[in-house]
Amino acid sequence: MPARFSILDLGKILFSPTAVFQAVARESPPATRVFFRFALWLGLLPPLFAYVGTLKFGWRLGVEPVFLPPRSVLTICVLYYAILLFGFVSGGVVARWMASTYDASQSLGRCFALLAIVGAPLAVGSIVHLYPNAFINVLVLVPALIWSMFLLYRGLPVVLETGPNRGMLMASALIAYLLVALVSLFGITVALWGSGLGPRIGA
Amino acid sequence: MKSATMNYEDRVVTAFTFASVAWALLGMTAGVYVAAELVWPTIDFGAAGLSFGRLRTLHTTLVLFGFGVSALMGTAFYTVQRTSHVRLFAPKLAWAIFWAWQVAILLGGISILAGWNAGKEYAELEWPFDIAIALAWVAFAVVFFGTIAIRRVDAIYISNWFYGALIIVVAMLHIVNSLELPATLGKSYSLFSGAQDAVVQWWYGHNAVGFLLTGGFLGMLYYFLPKQAEQPIWSYRLSIVAFWAFVYTYIWAGPHHLHYHAIPAWVQSLGMVMSLILLAPSWATMVNGIMTVSGAAQKLRTDPALKFIVLALAFYGLATFEGPMLAIRSVNVFSHFTEWTIGHVHSGALGWNALITFGTFYYLVPRLAGAPLYSVQLANRHFWLALAGVMLYVLSMWGAGISQGVLWLSLDSLGEVRFSFNDVMAAMHPYYMLRLVAGLLFLWGAVLMFWNLTQTFAKRSTVTVTVPAGATA
Repeated sequence: MPARFSILDLGKILFSPTAVFQAVARESPPATRVFFRFALWLGLLPPLFAYVGTLKFGWRLGVEPVFLPPRSVLTICVLYYAILLFGFVSGGVVARWMASTYDASQSLGRCFALLAIVGAPLAVGSIVHLYPNAFINVLVLVPALIWSMFLLYRGLPVVLETGPNRGMLMASALIAYLLVALVSLFGITVALWGSGLGPRIGA
Repeated sequence: MKSATMNYEDRVVTAFTFASVAWALLGMTAGVYVAAELVWPTIDFGAAGLSFGRLRTLHTTLVLFGFGVSALMGTAFYTVQRTSHVRLFAPKLAWAIFWAWQVAILLGGISILAGWNAGKEYAELEWPFDIAIALAWVAFAVVFFGTIAIRRVDAIYISNWFYGALIIVVAMLHIVNSLELPATLGKSYSLFSGAQDAVVQWWYGHNAVGFLLTGGFLGMLYYFLPKQAEQPIWSYRLSIVAFWAFVYTYIWAGPHHLHYHAIPAWVQSLGMVMSLILLAPSWATMVNGIMTVSGAAQKLRTDPALKFIVLALAFYGLATFEGPMLAIRSVNVFSHFTEWTIGHVHSGALGWNALITFGTFYYLVPRLAGAPLYSVQLANRHFWLALAGVMLYVLSMWGAGISQGVLWLSLDSLGEVRFSFNDVMAAMHPYYMLRLVAGLLFLWGAVLMFWNLTQTFAKRSTVTVTVPAGATA
């Protein structure tokens, strides 16, 4: 199967990731193609679902729903999209930077392709944002995350052509980066919030 | 004694190792039980000994001082002998420390269940125990530094610097923070009061995190990681620089626990700035560890212990990044008193401290027993249970903490707090459920390890390791 890496291939990527991993290793798709034809569109899913869900149902954190003004929701979702793309690009760049340590391929396209495949279950799982109940989101996204992590550990040695042991090390290092990036996002968000930049809740 | 016939004193190391595993099981069980109480508050059955306040204190005491310190004392004795090429100084005193420590934790644990409490977090044990701990700790210093003093290798290896810092700083913290006036056998009052008491308490509390949970376990890392990887440390120079930067910086960071409290603002700012600087030595150490292990990838196939250490390094990186971030005042205003803090502590305690200790024990016990590990498959299963447990724990507490922060800061049109404490607690229910599952997964893994290590030890043969003869100062 050729790795055309168009968003239309999402089904194949979700259901036969192993074949896609091998195709990526064979064909080394250019980074721009992975980004413009796939990641840009895949990343659109979570903010889109979140936008609809938040407007319709409000944030449900376990108490009465919290509704936000539509403008605020739009701003949050645009920022959500931007941050996802930033995470994707920075993750790819960091992976390429790490690759020399682990004797892996340093092609940015392959790193992007790997992250795109790994991110796909999470992006599709974000359909649960349509009903923004925090707990239900956790229930759906935790298994999606486990699947994503499995794909990362399984796919990295294939896509970046390194040994399974080095692959395991590099995948762990990437997870450390992604966790740190995520927690930085939390920190930046609440710091901005604390300094008055952010949505007004309950006003 | 002639060097040719001189053997290392390893039986006391074995004793500390198994004591540590036993305290881990008890302490984690107490933790799981208090996690269950947050889901079903009535399961204390009205018994004071089962109340959240007492069991939570028991949990932290057993995992910190039972599991953590026993592991540190055992590995310190193992490491200092091998890096000094000399038998332990005063081995009988080492055995006395072992028994004193175990009895102090056992009786201390019972006293907590009975309601004795000095009222200081992570230092709840009352004055008779404070004295016992101080004496045992001084004896620990005598054995450790005594061994360093008679060493037959010129250089003092980096692990010993970290263990040494642990011993000196914890002695200082414990003794100063425990200055108190006994009223009865089971009750004393701190010599400090008000804001001063708070500052001393968090100088103690945060440096216990710093020099015990970070510094002490870095001593463990710097010996057992290169041994397992069969690689020298990537950059020895970096480890020394990071050590001194770490020691100078950490001691100032405590006041970040007291943001917006009634202590001077400049003290808070100092704590915050020092916490941020701390990121540099912490990450230098992480990079050193990751680069050391990256040269030993082929060992991962056969050695389950190394996996634990790789994962421990990842969580060390997360926890030491998250900590400085949470110390920023404008982040802390949101995160303080929420479950985010609990998640942060456990990403450090489970992800870093417990995993590095598990990895070390899987390396150590077969060598102490002179028998191969009973089951590599069980160890691998333990690895995945631990990973799942700690990930689920951290994610559930992030979810809970951020929800709490949002709900607490949410105001109504009159500017009043919109949700009551009860509303917010009720909203926490599902996260607490997830956390309970996470705790059970992690505990289950620890039980597998207990079984694996005891079975390994049951097949032991006599092991005596002779001190290298050629080494001279």
